[in-house]
Amino acid sequence: MAGNTPKLDPLAVARAAGLDQVVSRFPEDIAAAVQAVAQDLADFPAIEGTTEPWPPMQIRSAR
Amino acid sequence: MNDLHWLTAAEIAAAYAVRRLSPVELVKALIERINAHDGRVSAFIKVDIEGALDAARAAEKDILAGRTRGPLHGVPVGIKDNIDIVGLPTTCHSKILVGNIAREDARVIGHLRAAGAIPLGKLSLHEFAFGGPWKELPFPFARNPWNGDCQPGGSSSGSGAALASGFVPIALGTDTGGSIRNPAGLCGVVGLKPTYDLVSRHGVFPLSFTLDHVGPMARSVADVASLLDALAGNVPSRRFGADLARGARGLRIGFVRHFHESDMVADPEVAAALDEVARVLTREGAEVREIKLPRLQELASVQRVILLSEAWAVHAKWMRERPADYAAPTRRKVLSGVFLTAGDYVQAQQWRGRMIDAVDDAFRDVDILMTANGMDYACRFDDAAGMARAYPRQARSPFNLTGHPALALMSGLSNSGLPLSVQFIGRAHDEVTLLRAGAAYERATKWSAHRPPVDKAAARDLATSPA
Repeated sequence: MAGNTPKLDPLAVARAAGLDQVVSRFPEDIAAAVQAVAQDLADFPAIEGTTEPWPPMQIRSAR
Repeated sequence: MNDLHWLTAAEIAAAYAVRRLSPVELVKALIERINAHDGRVSAFIKVDIEGALDAARAAEKDILAGRTRGPLHGVPVGIKDNIDIVGLPTTCHSKILVGNIAREDARVIGHLRAAGAIPLGKLSLHEFAFGGPWKELPFPFARNPWNGDCQPGGSSSGSGAALASGFVPIALGTDTGGSIRNPAGLCGVVGLKPTYDLVSRHGVFPLSFTLDHVGPMARSVADVASLLDALAGNVPSRRFGADLARGARGLRIGFVRHFHESDMVADPEVAAALDEVARVLTREGAEVREIKLPRLQELASVQRVILLSEAWAVHAKWMRERPADYAAPTRRKVLSGVFLTAGDYVQAQQWRGRMIDAVDDAFRDVDILMTANGMDYACRFDDAAGMARAYPRQARSPFNLTGHPALALMSGLSNSGLPLSVQFIGRAHDEVTLLRAGAAYERATKWSAHRPPVDKAAARDLATSPA
């Protein structure tokens, strides 16, 4: 799973997400966020991608 | 009557029925207690004195006229401040939402009003039910009534602290990764995360749409059952407390030991208390056997990927425009979602299906699962390492992922005098059996009768304050 995410510069990713203020004022928070996600993805088991996600698509009548 | 603040909702209803107590008398007594003690606990963001007294007068009139609406009629309830009450601010304990006045009641508030309950005010929380105690917040963060230097857990921190302090008999919390069960455990009260979607989230500020739950908290299992009845719309044919008196005899309980013995090693006092819970339930006639689920870290990581992705979707606009208005812990957590891909989110949802199946499979052989709640008891605010460990070291988030109902209640006291707790998990939509197990344990141990030293702390402060 972790292999799905190419190794990009976190600050460049943050800027691309429109987070210029965060990049300039709180770069340490970006570093902390990247580290936390890396841990979550390291614990994440591999999966066959064709399995149907939950919840599945559900049609609804007009509300 | 003495000690009105420690009455349970059931005791309050009984006292109203025989005219030994009135709603106005009770609301006034609770406001007086809040005024006397909340300076040390900071459970409330806002006490709605006028609204609560108006509702109490109306309830008093109805009750005296014999128009009783049920067990919560005239019972004050604390509301976590991410749940809308018309005309009151919903701040989510954040600078972002200071001045945000709710234009209508959340669906659960409507249900509570229909049941005759009296919203007493808005309770503090971790910022957006996500951050943590931090100096930059617009209101003081809640403290643990058992020891004011220790954290009360979260994110429903004010709900746990208010119940344990005797400020309210019942309260609402929300739970996306354990936010009802964590403060319930650390403050020594009872908290239930119901089955996903059993209780409406309409009018509740979202954290993660597919993991968010609204649920009841109280000082007894019976009160949690009554509050859940109301929150789920008071369906007359469905009473969640129907089996509270049945006891544990014949219950088959699966003890998930690997969560706290090998996946994450619990504090020895926490582990010993869990063994004692198993012994007590066996003595009460339950059959306790060991059972295995997927590894705790795998369950937790799948929950985190979904949580962080959905929370980023909620907060992206504000994080771009007003990042300085978030406290640092919240900002760091919200930003994590930026570094997950759409593929990560979809694959987490795929895993989720398998994990729901794994928990459902476990219920073929047992009626209830039993696990650690947190791996540690409450740590001090100034213990940075302890605070960092406090939220990840838990076994609650797997059941937000799978949607199964989960109940946390007190299971002892640490050597340092802080509450220990246990978590029971039920089949989806089988809160009746889950609450039966909790009530049986509660009755056998009486832990829920223990009270924190709130009054002693007040007396100590008085004795040491300058003349």
